[in-house]
Amino acid sequence: MTDKGIRRAGVGLALVGVILVIVVHWLSFFWVATEVNQGVVQRIFYIHVPAAWVGFIAFGVAALCSAMYLWLRDDRLDHAAVAAAEAGMVFMTVVLLTGPLWGKVAWGTYWTWDPRLTFTLLLWFIFLGYFMVRSSSENPERGKRFAAVVAIIGALDIPLIHLSVVWFRSLHPTPVVAKPEGPTLPAGMLITLMLGLLGFTLMFFGLFLLRYALESARNRVVLRERRSQS
Amino acid sequence: MTASPPSPPSGFPVLCATKVTREYGPLVAVDGIDLSLHAGEFLTIFGPNGAGKTSLLRILGGGMRPTSGEVRVGGEVMDFGETEWRRRIGVLSHKGLLYGHLTLEENLRFFGDLFGIPDLDRRIPARLEEVGLADRARFQARQLSHGMKQRLALARALLHDPDLVLLDEPYTGLDPHAASVLRRVLSSLKDGERTVVMVTHNLSEGLALATRLAIQVRGRFAWEGQRGDMAGDEFERFYHGVVEGVS
Amino acid sequence: MSVYVRQVIAILTKDLRLELRTRERLAAMGAFAILAGVLFNFSIDTTVVRPQDVAAGLVWMTIVFGGLLGVGRTFALEAQDGAIQGILMSPAPKDAVFLGKMLANFVLLYAISLLVLGVFALFFSVDLGANLGALLFTLGLGSLGFVALATLFSAVTEGTHMGDTLLPILVFPLLVPMVIFGAGATGRLLAGRPVVEVAGNLRMLGAFALMAVAAGAGLFRYVVEE
Repeated sequence: MTDKGIRRAGVGLALVGVILVIVVHWLSFFWVATEVNQGVVQRIFYIHVPAAWVGFIAFGVAALCSAMYLWLRDDRLDHAAVAAAEAGMVFMTVVLLTGPLWGKVAWGTYWTWDPRLTFTLLLWFIFLGYFMVRSSSENPERGKRFAAVVAIIGALDIPLIHLSVVWFRSLHPTPVVAKPEGPTLPAGMLITLMLGLLGFTLMFFGLFLLRYALESARNRVVLRERRSQS
Repeated sequence: MTASPPSPPSGFPVLCATKVTREYGPLVAVDGIDLSLHAGEFLTIFGPNGAGKTSLLRILGGGMRPTSGEVRVGGEVMDFGETEWRRRIGVLSHKGLLYGHLTLEENLRFFGDLFGIPDLDRRIPARLEEVGLADRARFQARQLSHGMKQRLALARALLHDPDLVLLDEPYTGLDPHAASVLRRVLSSLKDGERTVVMVTHNLSEGLALATRLAIQVRGRFAWEGQRGDMAGDEFERFYHGVVEGVS
Repeated sequence: MSVYVRQVIAILTKDLRLELRTRERLAAMGAFAILAGVLFNFSIDTTVVRPQDVAAGLVWMTIVFGGLLGVGRTFALEAQDGAIQGILMSPAPKDAVFLGKMLANFVLLYAISLLVLGVFALFFSVDLGANLGALLFTLGLGSLGFVALATLFSAVTEGTHMGDTLLPILVFPLLVPMVIFGAGATGRLLAGRPVVEVAGNLRMLGAFALMAVAAGAGLFRYVVEE
């Protein structure tokens, strides 16, 4: 696909995603029934869960592209990794902001060492490191390799981090959608959640493509500068 | 003097670089250099500061990956996953690559172990003898003068009997005695078997042993040719002409 | 002896020999361990908590901070005379270089963690007697996992202009499993609980160490290549 094509696809996906996310906001405020136990605050669920879902996908894509970059040394893979990591950072920040807000009402505290919250926080910091090694390397090619190593080690360590924080303490409700006997959410809530997942996912891929196009455009500028110098 | 391409001697090239390029971000340090060296040749590369000479030498020594292009040592492509070709290369840089707190003998033994050399007990004293440091084998390297350190670095570079020797500004900061020891050992390398590449901006030392010459400016060879029988001052005028012509 | 083993041992003994001659890192880490024990002692109000109850956590935090102090310098020491270039241009495989340097750091850090354990036993009147063997084993596994990650990332930070300052940001999130399983096991062992009770912790700690060593050995070459 040409760069222009990538940009167009990115704008399209992001637009559809944003529209869906707006619809989900409307649904979650005015349409879906209030949850019995937690009350109004549970409505944050329709933003929180899709953001977390997309954040994990984004970091998965970033780690995968990083590993492939070290293997194949194709700059496009590095661009994809940065694009995914940056978008992931945004969604993870949404998770980390909405989580405590929900927790304050539902659990009575902004922060608990709940495994998934802890895990998200650690992931966020791993990718903070990813961006810091990238930007603090004088030689950009080296920065790409360093960042890829950080992402891969992060991805390898994630199962252990997850196990350890679960072992440490668990407060989260057990999964309500992916149960073997089928989802137990009421239909209205399920529809809103599913639309949220779809909207956030489309928005992510839109942002991902746009960021990817930006990164390769930046690379071309560097190349042009080099040619005009020599 | 004409920039006649050097007539290649027969046989397999010891070192063969094709379109080697190295970029640092927007900067191009080495720009598409082709080079082919045969056994017994001694190439000196001259050039002003920032011409990319050290980068080129590091690429030829396998210390740096070229951004594009290919280097072959003894017909083998430098593959960074493989390591056998590294046994054929010895590097002397203006940095000593030594440990100040290890004795001379320990320094050499350490690198000997890394190269997997079998007869270190015999070889280390012989190498130290060669560079005139045998009586200081048990001194720590930091107690040596700069010239002595450079001689130790030379012993280290030649410890594993490499057939390709790379020298980066070896004469920098040497006293006359150390320089003469270096010159003596380097001329003993011209035994027809070994290949040497030296990078320097010291024109007279660079000319002394060379069989081939190149002038690198802005990442490229602005001129290359056989040593011929040009006198030092004649070459100096020519060198300045080439450098000014390019920049 | 295969060439590979010889290369690993050469790097290991070279690093240890240099450390014994300069004693820079050993002195810094040792002094840090003891002083941290002193400060921690004053930071605890003994009318509120019993020192023994928090000793395990403090032992691990001291090892982590002290460890970064020493291990973070691994490649800064090599850079002085460009010596690391000599190693990287030798035929030694990059994973052998990593293992050699990691093992040297391990010896160093394990010695320090024994000191830390002793210091806290002394200052916080903790009884080591009952589970000494298991405690030493726990600290060994923890130190191994730690040095594997810290050695790899000290090579990373050496190549950035932020240097050591970046090291905690990169390493701390990854150390969470080590701290949870390690401090958990240490706490119980210090409280005199039976070793079987921490078998699960030790297995996880072992898995962490194994993963860290394997990842470090595998990825090191991508970090040091130019």
